[in-house]
Amino acid sequence: MSAIHPDEIMAGRLTGSGMPPPEMRRDPVTIDGTIIDDPSVRAPLVTGGLSFHDVTNAVCGYAENKPGKWWLPVFGFTSSVAGLGTFMILYLIITGVGVWGLNNRVDWAWDITNFVFWIGIGHAGTLISAILCLLKQKWRTSINRAAEAMTIFAVVCAATYPGIHVGRAWMAWMMFPIPNANGIWPNFRSPLLWDLFAVSTYGTVSLLFWYMGMIPDFATLRDRAALDLIKNPNSKTVLPFVQIRVAAVRAVVYGLLSMGWRFSHRHWHRYEKAYMLLAGISTPLVLSVHSIVSTDFATSVLPGWHTTIFPPYFVAGAIFGGFAMVLMLMIPSRELFPYMKNLITARHLENMAKIITVTGSMVGFAYSMEFFIAWYSGNEYELFAFTNRAFGPYWWAYWTMIFCNVVSPQLFWFKFARKSALWIFVVSAFVTVGMWFERFVIIVTSLHRTFLPGAWGMFFPTAVDILTFVGTLGIFTTLFLLFLRFLPVFAMSEVKNVMPQANPHHPMYGHGHHSESGGTGPHSESGATQKGGH
Amino acid sequence: MSQIDQCPSTTGKKDSTKARPKHSERTPHAIVGVAGSGRAYWRSVEDALDKPEFRDWLEREFPAGASELMKGSRRSFMKIMGASVALAGALTIPGCRRPEHAIMPYSQRTPEETIPGKAMFFASSFPLPGGGAEGILVESHEGRPTKIEGNPLHSINRGRSSLWAQAGLLQMYDPDRLTDPVFSDVDGSARSWDDVQAWTKQHFAKFEGTTGQGLAFIVEKKGSPTRDALRTRILKKWPEAKWVSYDALQSDDVVRGSAMAFGKPMREIYSLDKASVIVALDRDFLHHEPMSLVYARQYAAGRRALTTKADMNRLYAVESAFTITGGKADHRLQLAPSVIPAVVVALAKEVLSKDGVKKSNALTQALANINTPQGLTLDAKVEKWVKALASDLAGENLGKSAVMPGASLPAPVQALVHAINDALGNVGKTVSYLAMGEDEAASSVGGMRELTDAINAKAINTLVCLNVNPVYDAPAELNFAEVFAKVPMRITLSVDTNETVMASNWRLNGAHFLEAWGDTEAYDGTIAPIQPLIAPLYDGKSDIEVLAMLAGEEKWKGYDLVRGAWEKKVGAGGTGGFEKAWRRALHDGVLAGTGGAAADVGTDIGTKAAQALAGFSLTTGPNSGAMDVVFSVGHVADGRYANVAWVQEIPDPISKIVWDNVAYVSPRTAKAMGIEQQRETKEKRGGRMVTITIGEQMMQIAAWTMPGVADNTIVLPLGYGREVCGRVGKGVGFNTYRLRGSASRRVASGATIAATTAGSRWYNVSSTQQHGSMQGRALVREVDLAAWKNHGHEDLHKNDPYGNEVTLNFAEQLGELSHTPSNLSIYKNPYNNSKGDPAPGSVYSKGPQWGMTIDLTTCIGCDVCTIACQAENNIPVVGKIEVNKHREMHWIRVDRYFVTDANRAAKEADPSDDAISVSFQPVACVHCENAPCETVCPVNATVHGPEGMNYMAYNRCIGTRYCANNCPYKVRRFNFFDFGVAKFNGDHKLKDALPDGGPKNVNLIPPRLRDRLDEITKMQMNPNVTVRSRGVMEKCSYCVQRVNEARIEMKLTDLTTAGSTPIPDGFFQTACQQACPTGAITFGDILDTETMYDDDPAFPGGKRKGSLVHNMREHGRSYMLLGFLNTRPRTTHMVSVLNPNPEIRVPVDNPLGHEHDHDHDHDHGHDHDHDHTRGGKERMQQDTGHKLSLTVLGPGAGVHA
Repeated sequence: MSAIHPDEIMAGRLTGSGMPPPEMRRDPVTIDGTIIDDPSVRAPLVTGGLSFHDVTNAVCGYAENKPGKWWLPVFGFTSSVAGLGTFMILYLIITGVGVWGLNNRVDWAWDITNFVFWIGIGHAGTLISAILCLLKQKWRTSINRAAEAMTIFAVVCAATYPGIHVGRAWMAWMMFPIPNANGIWPNFRSPLLWDLFAVSTYGTVSLLFWYMGMIPDFATLRDRAALDLIKNPNSKTVLPFVQIRVAAVRAVVYGLLSMGWRFSHRHWHRYEKAYMLLAGISTPLVLSVHSIVSTDFATSVLPGWHTTIFPPYFVAGAIFGGFAMVLMLMIPSRELFPYMKNLITARHLENMAKIITVTGSMVGFAYSMEFFIAWYSGNEYELFAFTNRAFGPYWWAYWTMIFCNVVSPQLFWFKFARKSALWIFVVSAFVTVGMWFERFVIIVTSLHRTFLPGAWGMFFPTAVDILTFVGTLGIFTTLFLLFLRFLPVFAMSEVKNVMPQANPHHPMYGHGHHSESGGTGPHSESGATQKGGH
Repeated sequence: MSQIDQCPSTTGKKDSTKARPKHSERTPHAIVGVAGSGRAYWRSVEDALDKPEFRDWLEREFPAGASELMKGSRRSFMKIMGASVALAGALTIPGCRRPEHAIMPYSQRTPEETIPGKAMFFASSFPLPGGGAEGILVESHEGRPTKIEGNPLHSINRGRSSLWAQAGLLQMYDPDRLTDPVFSDVDGSARSWDDVQAWTKQHFAKFEGTTGQGLAFIVEKKGSPTRDALRTRILKKWPEAKWVSYDALQSDDVVRGSAMAFGKPMREIYSLDKASVIVALDRDFLHHEPMSLVYARQYAAGRRALTTKADMNRLYAVESAFTITGGKADHRLQLAPSVIPAVVVALAKEVLSKDGVKKSNALTQALANINTPQGLTLDAKVEKWVKALASDLAGENLGKSAVMPGASLPAPVQALVHAINDALGNVGKTVSYLAMGEDEAASSVGGMRELTDAINAKAINTLVCLNVNPVYDAPAELNFAEVFAKVPMRITLSVDTNETVMASNWRLNGAHFLEAWGDTEAYDGTIAPIQPLIAPLYDGKSDIEVLAMLAGEEKWKGYDLVRGAWEKKVGAGGTGGFEKAWRRALHDGVLAGTGGAAADVGTDIGTKAAQALAGFSLTTGPNSGAMDVVFSVGHVADGRYANVAWVQEIPDPISKIVWDNVAYVSPRTAKAMGIEQQRETKEKRGGRMVTITIGEQMMQIAAWTMPGVADNTIVLPLGYGREVCGRVGKGVGFNTYRLRGSASRRVASGATIAATTAGSRWYNVSSTQQHGSMQGRALVREVDLAAWKNHGHEDLHKNDPYGNEVTLNFAEQLGELSHTPSNLSIYKNPYNNSKGDPAPGSVYSKGPQWGMTIDLTTCIGCDVCTIACQAENNIPVVGKIEVNKHREMHWIRVDRYFVTDANRAAKEADPSDDAISVSFQPVACVHCENAPCETVCPVNATVHGPEGMNYMAYNRCIGTRYCANNCPYKVRRFNFFDFGVAKFNGDHKLKDALPDGGPKNVNLIPPRLRDRLDEITKMQMNPNVTVRSRGVMEKCSYCVQRVNEARIEMKLTDLTTAGSTPIPDGFFQTACQQACPTGAITFGDILDTETMYDDDPAFPGGKRKGSLVHNMREHGRSYMLLGFLNTRPRTTHMVSVLNPNPEIRVPVDNPLGHEHDHDHDHDHGHDHDHDHTRGGKERMQQDTGHKLSLTVLGPGAGVHA
């Protein structure tokens, strides 16, 4: 297979003469990282023949170097939008919930739609991190960090809504079970309370999972900053007149964040154990959070809400929407950041496209089951609620949902679509829109025509409704841009784990450990040399 | 405070030389500065309200909070109170004696003692717009009238009250009222009443010794012995003076018609409780008439159907647009107003041809001679209808019917209706007569026309207007606004700011009926006093005072005038003389021995009617080029309630439109003319702007499609489009008086309607209910009397409706529960561990357990419950824009559903085109025992009380609104903005900063930048009910404050049993129950099953076992709305029973259709011979078990949806 004699490689390694010639570094199987049609050949998870060192340089480079020229204007835009959203929230709290279009017929509308939308988005991250981890799906490694980050940011956006949508936001603390002299506890029968616990637990565990996974990478960044500090005594200062060097700031911040990680075997050992434990804890959470969010509706008496199918259907929908959002973020990032295409390969995209088709079909099945049961139950109120969804005044929302969620993912039955990042992006955009509409349809069309026709009414969003939602989009993208800029976007050790070089039988096994590089691998001997200074 | 001090106008003179600052500028310490008397006391409390600490105290969420004691502000309040009382007493001492004329006001409770915090009740009366009156009890909290209720001793009210009586309260607290007398000729600044008096003395001096030429008065029509006496005195003094008694809504035809029939104008008074058949000929006798409360009560009394043996009266209505009377009718004929006389003539012919009726050859002849134009033929359906009606009236119902002519009928036809009553032998049995007073019989239009001519001839130099607004509502072609300006000296007295007063030289601020002495004569002749409840807020004077002052009378204080007039009328008869009778009248609110007298009308009514009909000719119906117009009267009456926000926000009973009047047209006409309204979209929830022309008069208005309107007929509600008004009513709706000439009073013909092309094409209309169809759901359940008699049983629920073995009562068999599997739950409700209703072991097994029933048979959909609840529970108004967003706050609403004829040609047209009836259903919180709202509230803000009420803890509520979502009845109301605390349509501080003065909806301005509720409006608030802040949920509380008050009362009055005596039935009432004219709402302890009550005439022998609500709740007609959800509502509804005439529609005998009707279910799709379904409404579809209920309008066939 290889033209190089293994001995040569060994010799090279022993003499430390460095990298093999460039042609040797090319991917032995796929060369350029395209998807292999031959089912007997496993496509590599990292392409471009990157060495461990290259991966380290690439991933750390995102945090260490200035991003492209696009970053600042985009960041400026998204943070302005986020600011606008914040202003809308302030206006809402100062003036009253009436600035939204809600009314006494439709008491929840965009607020809870957006809440469920964002919570749903937040599902993919933990699913990729935890469930795929437990299932030993190696392809998760290069997307899990970003997906987890997305989860955190989505949960931030989601958690905003329950806080601000209540009439007296300043009294929202009464939701918490705080011992008090009046002896009044929250109502533990209320799904909203379950929701509070579910979302906060989920948010906490996701944050821990995400942060813990980043610790080794923070340490790498810290070490590289420290090396930079030593090697380049004249490196950049924070500001021309502030004689604090950027590298020093980085070393301190990443140093604090890395919590004294020293790449020791013991650290790695405990890290892996903890990671598995957290994955184990997170896995039921993935299923429980959205199940419990769905009980906000399912435990009610409203036709259209009072449905036992909701928990699995919501979870499937959440994974569906979450994967779409991951793709929406990853595909542009691949284009904008160097080497990212090698780490997030076409195969990754294809895998995710397949999951989108699967989960999209699952929600499609749920939609049709709802109708079937509504008819089969013989309950005229139930049947009306669903007929009204499809043919009532909000028919357009329903059919938008059906088209985006059920029809558009079927495109991925065709290989050309799965192989094309552009098509995947387009379908993901559809799915994201469709999943928003799914929540809108469930909430608003069920509420606007309930039991007594005398109390029917329509809901129309106001500008504040729309701008608040746009604002959360701004908050979300702003946070994600900051993540891309300052944090390790890939779990370096995990990525290296699934690289061909990590295979002991690989000719380039263990390659790429330069003494000057901060690169590390889980089995790296030279990792120890790194910490020699400690 | 002694009672003597209760009455402000009993006291001495006010120091009026002191320039009185405007209300808003009053000094906080006015309490000290007032010299005077009892009246000063009242003003001082009001002024005390301006103190900063007091204002602060008021603005708190819990003004009565215990923590206040710590800060001392509660004490300071007590100090203020105490000081006020002391001061009031002390200040009367310098007069060395108590005021001479003590008042003994009626009070339900202990009149001797006033306990701060405990309301007192005073009897008074309320003049209805246009004449007639109601007797009222006014609840007063520390001198602030807070609620008006019906006087149980008054023959009109019997404890009930009308919407207008409720509205009267807020009218007094209107901050936009006139505050001072103003002489606009000089500088337009405020004057004092002394100035007015001095000026008038000088001005009227020139009439001294003359015959009063050049002097004219326009006074409102009202029954008032005192004013009648003044009128006599004035016309004696100035016989040449013009005296116009004016009511914009008066129909001369009614007066002339009765004059034709009886020789002199008589008002007819029906006794509907004695009538088996009631025929309303274009007459909405259940609503907005002087006798409506009586008629509604009597109508309902004949329809209770409490047993299966009870008979019911039968109501027929002929009308051109839905009124609540027509909506409730067993049979309704929908015809354009110009065709209705033809129906009356046809009816008269039929009736006179029957055996047993009193024949009149002259009348038969006259009927035969009536000129019938070509083209006027009544179609076969109408002929059949009239024949059936005639045979129902004759036969065994002779002398037991009432035929009621509406104001729209021409005078000869009115006379003919009187003759029909005579022929049927009703006179003296179901209808009696009272002679009209001179003022009442005088023609408003005629008087105005004469006056206009006189002004144009420059024959009038001084015009006095008293509580009238002719500049706004005079007949259009008189151009009265211009004419009015020609009078050199115009003196106008008005309570509220209006067009006429602002166009006058002297603008005199009037006293509201809660502020001044007066008296009323009700429509049935009952005389009642008007007692002031509070010193005039703006120091206004009443009309009688002003009249007496102008006439130069020495004693012109209201008290003296009323007492004087009564003394003359009553004389010094009886033991104790006049004084005793006077005191008794003030206490009872009724002058004993008045009312009920009947005048003799002779026996030749038929002959006289025949004379009246000579030369009368019928007209053909309208067509698209010459439409009929109906001028209808809505909640705002002639426009006088335009500035009362409560009234504006009470929806029209049929269209459910608020804050507007629109031109109602039938769906077919709208389609033909291309003026259909928009469906509900965000921007255009509105009607098409149209131009309506009658002769030379023309106006633009929004059109609105309404089922139940006759084709080619336009219905125009009057009283809107006020140009000079307070801030509430200004510019609301369209001024339809512009189309109303003196020839057309209630109806007009020859109108054209066309879509407006210039200007705005659409007009936003807000309504509280968009959807008119019941969607075939078993919500309002209606059966025919035959079904109730044959299949109904008054029996209680045989068993629990939720257990395994159940026997459903009659009403539940009509609905979903009969198709719902047993509800076996594994969840053990801690609050209700029994399946029973309520049963041993449950927390609900100990009384009292509160419950309510609403009888849909007797509910007439008049919305009085809504406004009474609003007044009692401090419910804010939200305004047109917010209602448009479905954010109205009413705790009780009346759902209105249209019923169509099942036999209409299917799918031919929008089924709502053919609405034949209306079903009303009041819905408030039903206080579910298994309340869906309670389980979902995360903070336990809505919880169940031990007495079965669903409580709302405002302080605990954070406003997640989940409860409202989960409420199947959609009765929860969220404070989306600071509705309760911020001033409705007030000002804001961003006015200059924002373009165009900021948003139209001031709610969008942060509350801190907005005006707060003004002090005057705050005084209306019921201190026993929290004013809700923004962000909290609210809903019907079953008037928990009244329950608690009753409980305390019971404990205090029965100390021997340590407060364990149950609260007897009827000891207190909820606000809605109390106001309901028909008694459709009952409330009480549902566990009171054993107590014997022996004063209920509705039950055999007057004896009833158990509380009324218990009896109603366990009644065979009682069902739980959406009961299949297992919510176990404490408010149950009762099946509506209709009484159709088998000749018109065969009653549905077997609504359940389980047995012999079964085949019918299978072929109903093509079988149209089943003429017996009233809209198929009662027909159940049984075979599938899931098709529940009632085909009303087909699914999706909503009116606007």
